[in-house]
Order: sequence, then C-alpha cells, then structure tokens
Amino acid sequence: MSEPKVFSSQALTIKVREDGPGFILEWTGKSNEREPGKFITPILTEIMEKAGQNPVVLDFGNLEYMNSSTITPIIRILDTAKKNKQKIKILYKKALKWQDLSFSALTIFKTEDGQISIEGV
Amino acid sequence: MPTIKNDTLTTEIKPDWGEIDHVRERTETFLKSCGFSDDIIHALQMVSSELVENAVKYGDFSAGGNQKITHSVDVRDGRITVEVKNPVKPSDEDHLDRLDSQIQWIRGFQNPFEAYVEKLKEVSAKMLAAGESGLGLVRIAYEGQSILDFYVDDHNILAVSAVLEYK
Repeated sequence: MSEPKVFSSQALTIKVREDGPGFILEWTGKSNEREPGKFITPILTEIMEKAGQNPVVLDFGNLEYMNSSTITPIIRILDTAKKNKQKIKILYKKALKWQDLSFSALTIFKTEDGQISIEGV
Repeated sequence: MPTIKNDTLTTEIKPDWGEIDHVRERTETFLKSCGFSDDIIHALQMVSSELVENAVKYGDFSAGGNQKITHSVDVRDGRITVEVKNPVKPSDEDHLDRLDSQIQWIRGFQNPFEAYVEKLKEVSAKMLAAGESGLGLVRIAYEGQSILDFYVDDHNILAVSAVLEYK
C-alpha cells in the first residue's frame, strides 16, 4: 500500500489513502475559502477517475467547519458518481449536531442499492 | 440550560475574506461567555460566517464609500440576534430583490428542512455556481434554526438579521 497523499489549501486538508482497491478521503480542518470548489473538485474528480468502479469514502468526521460553498462540489461529485454508477460513501460524526444536520440532509442523494450512501457514525 | 447572560458583541471589520475566521472566533468566545452550549455556538458561528461572507461578496466597498462591515450578536430575553450590516449600491436592486425573494421563499416552508432539501435538489439539477445557489441563507434557516430578515436604511446600509429563539 502506498503512502497517503495529503492535499492542503489554507485551513483545509484532505488526506487520500488507498483502501484495498478503493480510496478513503479524510477531511480535517476548516473549509472556508471563497471558492472551495477550485481546490476540492480537481481532487475528487481525479480520485473518482482512479477508483473506477471501486468504492470511495469521503470521511468528514474530523472536519471542524465548512461553509455553504463547500456543499456544492460535494453534491456535484455525488451526481457524477450516480451517473457513472460509481460507489461513494459519505461518513460524518453524528454526535456533532452541525455535521448531523448538514450531512443527514444529503440522504436525498442516496440510492437503494447502496451505490451512494450517507452514514452517521 | 445554565443561566444565560444578556449581552451584546459588536465588531467592525474590513470587507476582507480573511476576517471571517476572526468573526467566527469572536462569536465563539462571546457566546461561551454568555453560557451557551457547543451546539448553539457552532450554529451561530455558521450563521455569522454565512452572513459576513455575503456582505463581503455583495457589499459596495468602492472608494469613497463606507469601507466596513458591522457584525453584532445580541443575547436578550431568550433570543440571539446575529446582524450584519454593509453598504450597498442604491442601484443594486437585483441583489436586494434576490435577497428578498430568497427570504420569502424560505418563509414559505413550514419546516426549514424542507427548504434546505429543495435547495440541495435545485443546486444539483441546475448546476448552479456555489455563489449563486442561495444555499447559505437556507442553511441559516435550517441548521442555524434562525428566522431571517433584512432592511436597507436611508444611507444605503443593508442590515441582514438572523434570530434564534433558545427558550
């Protein structure tokens, strides 16, 4: 297994590690840039391309804060995964009320077959 | 809930994106000193952030004009009011109309969660750019559990407020 790749922009860090044939992306810090998509979207796009039909996990459990502009690139990647029939799971910390409110609402994008899943832990 | 202290925090900031972090920090310190829980503090840090982001994005800070944003948090009688004031161009009716229609649209839902979900679907369907989605205001209503309002005074200062009732 190769070393995790770490991407940082201002207060946000996304650590990408291989998990078998798939990938886990751990988000830490704060996503508070004016246009967070400029940093986030290329990373997510590249990982989804590399993953192909293998699962990708976006783990937000240790994220401290995100502004509303961060939600748009996340929705975009869920849309893309759905269209391309790729597997993606969103993990968040249920005990944090802001995370529970923010991420549980994304269940509108989940699919019955588990291809897109949103899970509070 | 422990005893809550009535108090007001008012800060003037430059229209600079880097100031938003400081607003969140000051809001946290202030609400902690008033005795609020982490959940309420997180919610109102987000409310403050989103309102100041909008002020930085859409305010009129052209040379010669008013160059500041005023952020305040007022704790009084079971309510927390976050208010952000910034100058606007008298001619910028599009922005004010959009703000008005967004707030009226949110109020049209009995439960702000429904408005939030509708907005997420809209962002997904219309491929809206992050800045034009209006997601920030809906998030204030849903996650911030706050009621939004705004007015523009005679000096073209826009004041947007979010009121959370905690009792």
